[in-house]
Amino acid sequence: MSASHERVRAALELREPDRVPTFDLMNEFSTDIEILGKKPSPLGPLIANPRVSDLLDKVLPHVNTAFVLDKVLEQLTNLGAEAAVRMGYDSVWLPYFPVLRLADSRTITDIFGRVNDFAMDEKGNMGNPIYRTGLITSPSAWDAWDKKPIFRLPEKVNRVFGRIQKSFGERLFIFGFCNYGIFESIWQPMGFERFVISIRKERSLIDRMVRFYTDLFCVLLEAEADAGIPGAIYTDDLCYRSGPMLNPKMIEELFGDSYRRITETAHSLGLKIVIHSCGNTESLLERFADWGFDAVHPLEPTAGMELSRAKELVGDRMCLIGNIDVSHILVDASREEVFEAVRRAIHDAGPGGGYILGPDHSHPAISVERLRWMVEAGREYGRYPLSV
Amino acid sequence: MGDYLEKVKRAVTDLDLDAIAPLVRDALDSGEDPNAILQSMCAGMVGVGELFESGEYFLADLVLAGEGMKEGLEVLEPRLQAGSMGVKGAVVLCTVKGDVHDIGKNLVGTMLSSTGYEVIDLGTDVPEDKVVEAVRANNAVAVGLSVLLTPMVESIGAVVRALEAAGLRDQIKIAIGGACTTDELARRMGVDAVGRDAVEAVRIFDGFVGA
Ligand code: B1M
Repeated sequence: MSASHERVRAALELREPDRVPTFDLMNEFSTDIEILGKKPSPLGPLIANPRVSDLLDKVLPHVNTAFVLDKVLEQLTNLGAEAAVRMGYDSVWLPYFPVLRLADSRTITDIFGRVNDFAMDEKGNMGNPIYRTGLITSPSAWDAWDKKPIFRLPEKVNRVFGRIQKSFGERLFIFGFCNYGIFESIWQPMGFERFVISIRKERSLIDRMVRFYTDLFCVLLEAEADAGIPGAIYTDDLCYRSGPMLNPKMIEELFGDSYRRITETAHSLGLKIVIHSCGNTESLLERFADWGFDAVHPLEPTAGMELSRAKELVGDRMCLIGNIDVSHILVDASREEVFEAVRRAIHDAGPGGGYILGPDHSHPAISVERLRWMVEAGREYGRYPLSV
Repeated sequence: MGDYLEKVKRAVTDLDLDAIAPLVRDALDSGEDPNAILQSMCAGMVGVGELFESGEYFLADLVLAGEGMKEGLEVLEPRLQAGSMGVKGAVVLCTVKGDVHDIGKNLVGTMLSSTGYEVIDLGTDVPEDKVVEAVRANNAVAVGLSVLLTPMVESIGAVVRALEAAGLRDQIKIAIGGACTTDELARRMGVDAVGRDAVEAVRIFDGFVGA
């Protein structure tokens, strides 16, 4: 087992590694290409060209763009892994999400019913599609929804993660990501307001969708495990800056059994599983541990999450990941500030193991230089026995 | 008669969606003044806000309360006198340019319109000139900007500058809210207030208009 694997595994199992491992979310194309010193993709500006976009608007509604987009997304996954190696990370949240379709030159739909805007930064890099609305607006829309592309997802995930694991798996501990969690998979394709009202008025639709996405997630875990990757991310943003979006009792009632089944499936396959939920998750942390997750990310500081408090609440049951701020520290802070943020994080969450250092999110304004300082500071302060 | 008003208020506060519209209908049939019914619904919404602030209600409950108000108003609105809705003034609301997070903005909008404001919701990813246009066209008393993304905070400054350039800044108050907003950011951007949640947003706008 490589040093990185041993380090990450030890932290996840709440043992002291040789040093605090590092982790990143390699899901911003612009960040990856800056790390690798590559040129922006010509695809973005090409699509923005009015002559090309006019043509695309005529053609795209009649063709299946999956073949092309799946390839582009596979390249992005590769790029993410390459960039993570270049940065010297021990582990990486690596997305392969072959679910997108170009509806026209500005709109990207996905196979689950989300409608997104095509995004591009000022350098012409394609950004993550920007969610706009959903197409599952009624029980009959869900019945009529073409689910065949969804049934093909596990096979694609298995194939691509197999390749990625072969190329990068020795060097990096890969946490695979290939679909959103159940809450997000249901509310986004119908819109948040509609989802909340459906819990009251169309409960059987919600229950059917919960079952569908739980089954799908478990099959995707099988596909990832079969590809040989050691970890998986379960991402479901249950919270916002002030706490849970739904009453925790309702979260338990709707999703508790699914979460338990997902972690049991992961563990039976030998996978470690991390729950990612943005926002202030303090009141849910103990439930995350009860549901069986091995680790929790991002412990978002802008939402008031403190590592010392999280350590106190669940540090003996779950590994803590992240908490390095992306509103200031990893955007425009000084080197001293970055080092101090890392020192403090390791001081609060590192003792006894059970902490993996990393940012709390990704967005295009994150500075590569500051990510490098974060990794450097992790090496300086993270050696066990700790002396921070 | 008064019994209906209390029942309407309670149904809103208790999030009893199935009961609200029928109760409003019954209240109207029994001869209650439509404006008094509207006030009861708003009082019910104030109760929802209190339960939210005390931690008993969650975000989703605010959405349900908004839906209840909408269903009740569908019955009530044809009977209301023109001008009895939105009496506190017009507020222009949007998520700033580059940002598409809209759940918080929508909730703030629901709470404001349920408590007497006319809400001009411009949606998400809104450039500053659209805000200026809407302020002018609606003679708005305040602007509410939702911003959750750090890379987009400069969009707040752009709105402030555009309102200044249009000569409207002195007559309008601006509040911001959303995941990445802080008092420090509000100061730096030159806006008048920052709201932590939709209930506080109502308090802020009430302060602006002296309600
Ligand atoms: C005018 O007066 C007022 C007064 C009060 C006001 C107000 C205005 N506006 C709001 N309020 C206040 O009242 C509301 C009601 O109580 C509250 O509103 P909020 O909006 O805060 O709360 C809502 C009711 C519920 N909260 C939310 O809806 C936001 C929740 C979190 C989890 C979140 C979500 C859901 C989403 N996201 Co995004 N997202 C996160 C959020 C984490 C967090 N800490 O909030 C945040 C905001 N996201 C983030 C990021 C990075 C991103 N997101 C993105 C996308 C998304 C989704 C589409 C998946 C989804 C949004 C769906 C939608 N239709 O809105 C991307 C950006 C897209 C874009 N261009 O906008 C992307 C860039 C991710 C990516 N790499 O692609 C982070 C921003 C970090 C930063 N500092 O910049 C983030 C804080 C998460 C994190 N862990 O750091 C109060 O703030």
